[in-house]
Amino acid sequence: MSGYLESVLVLLAINAILAYAAFLPMVAGQLNLGVAAFVAIGAYSAGYCSNSFSVHPVPAALAGTAVAGAIGWLVAFPILRTRGIYLALATFALNQMVQGTILNLDVVGGASGYPVPAHIGFAVVAAFSLAVILLVFLAFRTRFGISVTAVSDDERVADLMGLSVRGLQSAAFTAGAALAGLAGALYAHHFNYIEAQNYGVLFSIYIVLYVLLGGTQTVYGPLLGAAVFTLLPELLRGSAAWRYVIFACLIIAIMSLRPQGVILKRAWFSK
Amino acid sequence: MVLEIRNLSKHFGGLKVVDDLSFGVARGERLALIGPNGAGKTTVFNLITGVYPADSGSILLEQSDITGLPSRYRIRRGLARTFQNIRLMAHLTVIENVMIAQYARAPGATAMLQPVGFGRANRWRAEARAALAEAGLDAYADAAAGTLAYGIQKRVELVRALAASPSVLLLDEPAAGLNPAETEALHQALEAIARRGVTLVVVEHDMQFVGRLCSRVVVLNFGCKIAECAAGEIHADARVREAYLGSEELA
Amino acid sequence: MLEQQVVNGLMLGSVYALVAVAFTLAIGVLNFLNFSIPGLFMVAGMLTWFFLKTGIPWPLAAVLAVASGGLLSLLVERFTYRLMSRSEHFVPLVTSMAFLILFENLVLIVWGSDLQRVPLPFESVSFKLGPTVVAVPQLVGLACAVLAVAFLDLLLKKTRIGRGLRTIAEDAETATMLGVGVGRVVPVVFLVGGLFTALSGFLFALNYQQASPFMGEEVALKGIAAMVVGGMGNIWGAILGGLLIGVAETFSIHWFGARAVDIGVYGLLLAILFVRPTGLLGGAMRQARM
Repeated sequence: MSGYLESVLVLLAINAILAYAAFLPMVAGQLNLGVAAFVAIGAYSAGYCSNSFSVHPVPAALAGTAVAGAIGWLVAFPILRTRGIYLALATFALNQMVQGTILNLDVVGGASGYPVPAHIGFAVVAAFSLAVILLVFLAFRTRFGISVTAVSDDERVADLMGLSVRGLQSAAFTAGAALAGLAGALYAHHFNYIEAQNYGVLFSIYIVLYVLLGGTQTVYGPLLGAAVFTLLPELLRGSAAWRYVIFACLIIAIMSLRPQGVILKRAWFSK
Repeated sequence: MVLEIRNLSKHFGGLKVVDDLSFGVARGERLALIGPNGAGKTTVFNLITGVYPADSGSILLEQSDITGLPSRYRIRRGLARTFQNIRLMAHLTVIENVMIAQYARAPGATAMLQPVGFGRANRWRAEARAALAEAGLDAYADAAAGTLAYGIQKRVELVRALAASPSVLLLDEPAAGLNPAETEALHQALEAIARRGVTLVVVEHDMQFVGRLCSRVVVLNFGCKIAECAAGEIHADARVREAYLGSEELA
Repeated sequence: MLEQQVVNGLMLGSVYALVAVAFTLAIGVLNFLNFSIPGLFMVAGMLTWFFLKTGIPWPLAAVLAVASGGLLSLLVERFTYRLMSRSEHFVPLVTSMAFLILFENLVLIVWGSDLQRVPLPFESVSFKLGPTVVAVPQLVGLACAVLAVAFLDLLLKKTRIGRGLRTIAEDAETATMLGVGVGRVVPVVFLVGGLFTALSGFLFALNYQQASPFMGEEVALKGIAAMVVGGMGNIWGAILGGLLIGVAETFSIHWFGARAVDIGVYGLLLAILFVRPTGLLGGAMRQARM
């Protein structure tokens, strides 16, 4: 496989994981603008593991995932006391704070970027990505899928129907954080260089937007969104900035015409 | 008594919405909770189900005190309800709405991860489908709940509440907005449910409906119990008539 | 030295304040977090640089830059709020984010990613106020901000349009029933917000003599923090919040270095959201739906 094709597929695999990292909180009714922060946490902690402790990159990536998930779980306690726009703003503030913190950590390069020499090849990235996709699909075939949607539809009634609202919200947020961390760790170890400047709120916004493009009503939607976002520039050539211009126009068009996204849903489980 | 309210009080700001209320419901009984608008009936339901914390007094379910218990545990102990304004999950299908309430029978992390989406053989889905079929709603199983007619949604809400296998069912104005045919069908459905041993507590304005279904009535006004009698006797009670400001309401 | 920091902070704060007013108007009246505002700020700033670089006299450059903010803002309105009623409630927020991306990338294509130096079109005058130095252009900026908000306050309280806006903020449905021309009044929110934001961008470019395609993200985004700190929906809160954030940032840089700024400012935002989400002056917020 050519190097170029390989890097496109790697990006697709990573973007798919990112899509589900944003999707899980969104299904629970949370707009997590802090996704990028958890990507950074995963990337930097995994990179630090493999750099400083000479850990093999795959366990390092898993460590990065665990750190991101743990921090997500801790942060969820205060953050999930807010709702709606306040929640979005709190995750936004969190994102910028994490980015600001990393920029100050000279031990991981600060503002100069952080090289991560240990390499994870395409096959492993693809394997992780497929595993995540499979896990998410399975999760939404369990009671979890309808329960989490119920919570975002009507929190008060979900509570009265016996669901643990905080538990479900926290699970969705934490799982999203962990997946974001995994994506970050894989990126760090495949492209072997990460920069804190890339993990601002705008990165979170890109991810949220392509998830919404695909649609959040089915499990397939985020995957489609990730595919469009990754493959669009390859089909159109042109610079990175043009890709984003077209992407932005696409979002504006879709939101005007079909805000539920490209894929509409019948039910979480089909007949 | 399966459900008992003792000296229950609740105020919002300076307004006492429920005032030292006490009554009990025997197992298998059909109790009606009536009173003019604003008497506090829905608030009583909200207190019983834990939507609001009580300011004072206690609530006992199966003789154990649930006054401080969070809402989600109350349904798990067998206390289910329907709502005055229909509260179905609009983005879920009818069958999914019903399945939500099944969790209350067997909660826990493993239960949450139980597959419910694979194949027709899945026990939970089959059970939900059967419940819908029994209520004559089978055809709507895969429709998005938010798109259905009012009468259909009301019936779905009832099926949903029953999916939790409650021992006590609180019904908030179940006959509101229904035409005579639908009201009759509701009566038959509730009779069947009561015959299966479920205790019913019904808030209603339709006195004929109450008279046919319920054996006993508790009358509220301004958050206080002003009367408690057998269903047949309400018309005769002067205080009740006064509360409704004229006997037309009770006709 | 402390007084100088405070003065510098207030100057910076006036930039944040104007942007915060734009945010808070959209939130208060339309319940809409308008993420395109940083984009408008950036476009105005970059246009200011471009006009001054090509020798256009600065008053004209000011008018053009500010007008561009207003016009672009109306374009955003066409594709965000106007579509809200008939769709999912997150649509305007999402579309405004798309506009931010659109503006930033269009500017990147036209002018590249470099930080541009804005030529100062006049001799910078400053005077001493006791131990502190106050630059006149920055003082003018602060004065502009306060005047603009005072004018807006008058608009909201004394004019028919203002009453219409306040009615919509209370209850959009009732407003329509009462005959408030929602279709004509709502664009005013966007227009005013766009003008304020563009003015802020112009002032920033002029006073700090820099402009870049990323200045929206780096500077204007903090306007959200200022809005929340002051109280969402409260325009005087936006001024207060903006000035506070400006001062907080200046002190942060002085004590902890430039790189700690984000932690300080967004830490403050996070703290307010947890402790007192209605902000310092309290907001005219309706139920927080997105």
